[in-house]
Amino acid sequence: MPAYHSVFLDEPNQHLIGNFALLPLRTRTRGPAMQLPPLPADLTDLTIDASHESYDPLDEILSLFRANTFFRNFEIKGPADRVLIYGILFVSEVLGKIKPSMGRRDAEKAVMNVALDTNFAIPGDAGFPLNQAFEAPPDRNSAEQLRQYIIQMRQELATRLLNRVYADESNTPSKWWLSFTKRKFMGKAL
Amino acid sequence: MANQTPAVVMDNGTGYSKLGFAGNDSPSFVFPTAIATKGVGGGAGGSGSGRPAVANKPSFLTGGAGPGGHLSGKRGTEDLDFFIGDEALAASAGPGYGLHYPIRHGQIENWDHMERFWSNSIFKYLRVEPEDHYFLLTEPPLNPPENRENTAEIMFESFNCAGLYIAVQAVLALAASWTSSKVQDRSLTGTVIDSGEGVTHVIPVAEGYVIGSSIKSIPIAGRDITYFVQSLLRDRGEPDSSLKTAERIKEEFCYVCPDIVKEFSRFDREPEDRFRKHTVNYPNGKSVVVDVGYERFLAPEIFFNPEIYSSDFLTPLPNIVDTVIQTSPIDVRRGLYKNIVLSGGSTLYKDFGRRLQRDIRHLVDARIKASEARSGGAKSGGLDVQVITHKRQRHGPWFGGSLLGQTPEFRSYCHTKAEYDEIGPSIVRRFALLGGPGST
Repeated sequence: MPAYHSVFLDEPNQHLIGNFALLPLRTRTRGPAMQLPPLPADLTDLTIDASHESYDPLDEILSLFRANTFFRNFEIKGPADRVLIYGILFVSEVLGKIKPSMGRRDAEKAVMNVALDTNFAIPGDAGFPLNQAFEAPPDRNSAEQLRQYIIQMRQELATRLLNRVYADESNTPSKWWLSFTKRKFMGKAL
Repeated sequence: MANQTPAVVMDNGTGYSKLGFAGNDSPSFVFPTAIATKGVGGGAGGSGSGRPAVANKPSFLTGGAGPGGHLSGKRGTEDLDFFIGDEALAASAGPGYGLHYPIRHGQIENWDHMERFWSNSIFKYLRVEPEDHYFLLTEPPLNPPENRENTAEIMFESFNCAGLYIAVQAVLALAASWTSSKVQDRSLTGTVIDSGEGVTHVIPVAEGYVIGSSIKSIPIAGRDITYFVQSLLRDRGEPDSSLKTAERIKEEFCYVCPDIVKEFSRFDREPEDRFRKHTVNYPNGKSVVVDVGYERFLAPEIFFNPEIYSSDFLTPLPNIVDTVIQTSPIDVRRGLYKNIVLSGGSTLYKDFGRRLQRDIRHLVDARIKASEARSGGAKSGGLDVQVITHKRQRHGPWFGGSLLGQTPEFRSYCHTKAEYDEIGPSIVRRFALLGGPGST
């Protein structure tokens, strides 16, 4: 059984830039992403099911992250898989910023620093590590739109990751999550 | 016949030797197949030049190849100065002794060491008179007949044992599975998955005979699982990540899950239930607590997803089993799918058999579906895939030997000392099939 793929591969009417899918997100940060309805009261990030209407790619990234980082080979089956790859690599990068000694406040600062930084490489830029698999956006306009979408992804992912890493009351990061900092999905890092 | 002595069953594996008497439930002794000898004397390695005389061996028997006879007088008693099993490990920790493993990859490499190992096994551990007992030994599949002859030479000439039978481990493992309620007909056809410490073998057996051309082995077994657990402990910075701790965690806490992503989220939802603690006690009285987490299900997962552990071997175990059966003769494939038998310590994880059965069934069903589509409307009768999990897996081959060695006709299948004296070592090249058709 190879690495896990995105469940959004067969999603109809995907909005594409290059070959990256701009899938709807469940977030309150501003940006070009379509909004999904917020979580109903009886569900949390941990209990949401993949078939629920509010389930978004970021839920999927966080649930597949730990399994997929063990794999070095990944066959990209569609635009939604590229969202998954980017998300997993970003989670890896952010996890690396959290040190075992950090309290939640410090970790938030370090992580949000990365997430809010608008100066990062998007597909097509020279510094982007996966340009073989990702197409560059066709023009400057769509490049800007893609950047805005990814910013949205990064911020929401960072928030949700912090909630998981600091799930308990102890104000120390979960060592179960931090143990994944050294593993590299597909042998790559952002 | 009423007061027959029980047969001695010895299963010497690469890692551990299992010794005991036929008819018993479990081996009387299980210890490492290791021997500690004085100094570097063991470095002689091969069996060719002059093996030193061994306890209880008349000097005229060593004659011929080596300088044998006249040297043994000068040597004194240092040939008797050796230990086997756990004592060997203890002795080699101190000064003066070197540790040797006479069996490599299932086959005997150092006959001198093996002879001494057997002599201690018989006289010091089992404490039997070989003249009074029949012996059942095991061998790996594809063992060269010369090795059998060497074994017979030692058993008959050095130990003077009453009778000898050498059985293939995989066939004995099949016999051991007869104790499972899922097995209705006691056939000797089936696929044996034998996973020990060093290597995992998938061996198809048809009516008691090993299909040698289809055997496959996988470089992933118990030791790799231990290493993987260790690497996960180190990633997390646990206070103790020694191999010994990793091994204990592997044996105590690991199980096979149906799906790793689902298992991760189960750990998220019910942390109290899933995360465990393991206490390591040191000889000096101190102790530390090691947390046990995802390695519980990730470690055995390397059989089903070797990619997460190794970068050069990537084929999952279910695919290997399927290939092995598909390369076997077509008229036995149905029997091989129906009777997949587990054997060896690394198959003991909870739900190992269930996951294996499910994955193989997926492969088989997909192939049947594809060929149905190609044939344009023909319907297949389906294929029964069954993985047998039973209570005797750990010492499967030994238990199978114990089972067959207690049958009344066992002695008639053995070669006796008299027959050996009559014909010579070549007699052991052939054995009648024990437990095959015709016997009970």
